[in-house]
Amino acid sequence: MEWKEEGEKRPLSQRPEWSDVTPVPQDDGPNPVVPIAYKDDFTETMDYFRAVYFADERSLRSLHVTAEAIHMNAGNYTVWHFRRLILEALNADLHEELNFIKKVANGNPKNYQIWHHRRWVAEKLGSDATSKELDFTKKILSLDAKNYHAWSHRQWVLQELGGWEDELAYCKQLLEDDIFNNSAWNQRYFVITKSPFLGGLEAMRESEVNYTVGAIIAKPENESPWRYLRGLYKDDAQSWVNDPQVSSVCLTVLSAKRNTVFALSTLLDLLCHGFQPSQDFINAVDALKTPDLDQSDSNLATAVCSVLGHMDPMRVNYWAWRKNKLPAQTA
Amino acid sequence: MDSRRSSSSFFDREKHVVFLQMMNQLLPSDYQGQEINRLTLAYFAISGLHILGALDEVDKEEVSSWVLSLQAHPRNEAELNNGQFFGFHGSRSSQFPRDDNGVLIHNGSHLASTYCALAILKIVGYNFSCINSKSILTSMRNLQQPDGSFMPTHVGAETDLRFVFCAAAICSMLENWSGMDKEKAKEYILNCQSYDGGFGLIPGSESHGGATYCAVASLQLMGFIENDILSKSSSSSIINVPLLLDWSLQRQAADGGFQGRANKASDTCYAFWVGGVLRILGGYKFIDKKALHRFLLTCQSQYGGFSKFPGQLPDLYHSYYGFSAFSMLEEPGLIPICVELGIADIAAIGH
Repeated sequence: MEWKEEGEKRPLSQRPEWSDVTPVPQDDGPNPVVPIAYKDDFTETMDYFRAVYFADERSLRSLHVTAEAIHMNAGNYTVWHFRRLILEALNADLHEELNFIKKVANGNPKNYQIWHHRRWVAEKLGSDATSKELDFTKKILSLDAKNYHAWSHRQWVLQELGGWEDELAYCKQLLEDDIFNNSAWNQRYFVITKSPFLGGLEAMRESEVNYTVGAIIAKPENESPWRYLRGLYKDDAQSWVNDPQVSSVCLTVLSAKRNTVFALSTLLDLLCHGFQPSQDFINAVDALKTPDLDQSDSNLATAVCSVLGHMDPMRVNYWAWRKNKLPAQTA
Repeated sequence: MDSRRSSSSFFDREKHVVFLQMMNQLLPSDYQGQEINRLTLAYFAISGLHILGALDEVDKEEVSSWVLSLQAHPRNEAELNNGQFFGFHGSRSSQFPRDDNGVLIHNGSHLASTYCALAILKIVGYNFSCINSKSILTSMRNLQQPDGSFMPTHVGAETDLRFVFCAAAICSMLENWSGMDKEKAKEYILNCQSYDGGFGLIPGSESHGGATYCAVASLQLMGFIENDILSKSSSSSIINVPLLLDWSLQRQAADGGFQGRANKASDTCYAFWVGGVLRILGGYKFIDKKALHRFLLTCQSQYGGFSKFPGQLPDLYHSYYGFSAFSMLEEPGLIPICVELGIADIAAIGH
């Protein structure tokens, strides 16, 4: 299955192997809305595609024209669909197809149709494709560590084909590269909850809390590890409230008096879930109050809301609403 | 011309109208790559003109007839039940005539195109009783997967929350829920809620502004969450609303714009996707409207339209969501939108 030479730029109408085919033009009428100013080569390629598609000619030259159509318009799912039919009919080498997809993906890493096609091929190859798929997504992620399609595909590969062994280490590496990479945090959650090599969320909780607390202390303004920490207690709010490491990291950040917003909102949530604060917390929040705030707020949760309104002015209306909604008996 | 000096201090409605009229007339060849879903581009242009209060410029008859010409029709009952989806094609490039034996072997009609088609028809006030909705709804069930998600075409494609939303919006506009199993769709949506309160496009994936809109709008349309749930003090909910609210509000970044995911750059369109979620929940009042307004104006192009990021060239998609965002900000001269359907209120209610 030879890939057409990159230099082949002769119009299809001038290529001998296409001389018996009558191109089929697009009938746009009547009164088409938002017509597009198609370039001539685009029109010609699509006219020839239409011809072989309509004739259902599942041949090598049809395969080539789908490649050309894809290069001009990787979003045309009709072309991809026909390409799959041809690949099956010709019993094509699917490893070669993975190479084709790699080339197309280089220019279009965020195209849904390409990724769907990749999955289709990988599904057919089964576990033969596992390491290739993990390598491919790793390559794409090295160029853009947050490519949503790459992450979805990678999750699919892990669940369907396996390869979990090194995934937690991979997440760790990505977070070392960029601790703000929310996609890597999400993947980490995926791994600790689903990997058959780890024990599941509860078994992993303690070590993950340690890891996350370290990340928070390093960059308290980073939203990701705060959300992750809460996520580690997904359906068990009581354990989250009772874990001394959770409240303690809040206290540490508050005491340092820098980038305190997430520490404050976490403390607020803890209080709303029944956390009983020690005097240390009250002192730490007091120290953050500005002179214009009500110094006599004996209610810690109310005080936290006031401080948040000041520290996070973008969401001042939200913090005011939260304050209003506090039950009378919150500490 | 330095496009970085493109922002002005006001929403330039007239320029935006001209921009859309030009797009409506002829899209530059850069849009070739979106040929397959021209209906979606038409939706952006027409709904955009509607929101800007300039729908008079549009020939409603012409638009209706072009849109309807993209519908796939089954010949008979047998064909209707052969597993294909009989919706709308995004353009002629997926639409082919029947073969010599009258068999429709190439049917590329698509859920997203169907949503756009019906939205446009609503906008231009087409009489919905004239639409063959039975074939759309009956065949749409073929697209729903065992896990509750939807595939957009029967020939095979990715399944995710975007198409659950399309299905729900289609049923809502056709006022008929026989097109989908709502319970199963709800289950799928719930499985998409991430540990941080937002929703990913598929279960396990990172929470994302667009996916969250699809989730929340679908649940609202299907009747599983009430509108303005935050002001109803005693309601419990099938989704974790406080966490979702907190996540959504946190998407407004320091520059005033909305980001699609934590720690990513602000982008015009999330002012609609995430703003829309907040509007449905009743939490839109918590955003910093001034800051958002300021950010969006930095994405306003001197040529009309909006770009994704400040100072770039405009495109139709970001322009449309920019207009929608300004409508939600109650910009004078713009008409209110029905957030969960993505069309003007007045179109949703009916003329």
